[in-house]
Amino acid sequence: MPEQAISQADIDVVYPKVAQIVADALGCELEDVKPKASLIQDLDAESIDFLDLVFRLEKGFGVKIPRGKIVEDARGPLPEAEFETKGIVTEAGMARLREFLGEVPVDRFKTPMKAGDVPRLFTTETFCKVVIRAQRAAQA
Amino acid sequence: MSGRFRSFSFVDRITRREGGSVEGQYAVPLGVHFPASLMAEAVGQLAAWSSMAQLDFAVRPVAGLADAVHYHQLPYPGCTLQLQADIERCDAEAVAYSGKAFVDGRLALELVDSVGPMLPMAEFDEPEAVRADFHTLLGGGAAPGRFGGVPLPELHDLQVQPGERLAAVLQVPELSAAPFFEDHFPRRPVFPGTLLMEALSMLSLQLVQQSPPLAAAGPLVTQKVSQVKIRSFTAPGARLELEVVLQDIDPQRARLKVAARSEHKTVATARIELTPRSNP
Repeated sequence: MPEQAISQADIDVVYPKVAQIVADALGCELEDVKPKASLIQDLDAESIDFLDLVFRLEKGFGVKIPRGKIVEDARGPLPEAEFETKGIVTEAGMARLREFLGEVPVDRFKTPMKAGDVPRLFTTETFCKVVIRAQRAAQA
Repeated sequence: MSGRFRSFSFVDRITRREGGSVEGQYAVPLGVHFPASLMAEAVGQLAAWSSMAQLDFAVRPVAGLADAVHYHQLPYPGCTLQLQADIERCDAEAVAYSGKAFVDGRLALELVDSVGPMLPMAEFDEPEAVRADFHTLLGGGAAPGRFGGVPLPELHDLQVQPGERLAAVLQVPELSAAPFFEDHFPRRPVFPGTLLMEALSMLSLQLVQQSPPLAAAGPLVTQKVSQVKIRSFTAPGARLELEVVLQDIDPQRARLKVAARSEHKTVATARIELTPRSNP
């Protein structure tokens, strides 16, 4: 089933709480958290911070975010073999990422991109969309 | 004798395991200094045993996060810790749990919303040996009195600004100088996060003892350690730069923000609250 589009208005509803949770999880100031900020590149997040963030979002919004769901959603309908080859995201994979991560500034989609570096693209808005999808899944 | 399953193991026996709930016990040895933070380690290890068994010893939790650790009373030599953990979630990525330790039937420590990232067991220990140890804990239990103590944190280059901050260098022991590395972990020695928090608590205590109005308040104790995050592993022999910064202080308590860094990279962060011993 095609995903229902997420509008800017949908993002604006959850953004203030997501931004506060990002600031709490990363131990940074709220004013440093921007919608387009890359959590890894701009806010020095590490893998443990993503784990912390997902648990905090689950508690804060009362939703379940299955493990590995973000990367799995980013890959979309593409089988893993078509998404990446020898650890490098394929052209088809890059096209899928640009579409799925529409909130990420286009100049950050550099090629060749290692599949393990996909989380470097994630922004505060990416996590707003994660929350919105989890809320919709809970209502479905 | 190898320190494996001895020198940093704080569960002697698992007494009940049902669904996500697990209970166990640990006898604090006589004649050995047992820092209060090791009660949190014991609760974490109980949850770790249960989660490793649930995932067939393919992965193990290492370090991680804790929303809060509340200290209610101190352990004493010869006491038995009754341990409980409630595992909220456990999969190949992480285990999430809360837990408690009791001394003489009274609540001594609460660990709230802790998360341990799972890593491949084989990187840290021999999976079959861990499985055998787990069955020992479930059966007759491990022999008590295995813990021989931990060296006191080696802190130097202290720079104190009373009422504001204290910085110091923590020299992590070399592999040969600290038996706990043989147990934590046999294939990859890692400085335990609880000992790092213990060192940060000691520094916090030193700063607050020089900061009015608590400077004259008599003995102080750690009441709460919160927002604990261990961000990376610390190897034997490492030098860590520790910093504790006073956030606010009044006659009832002091709140501090603490951090450990290695070459300007943050290794661990937390917040610590201290209170006069008579004001728990």
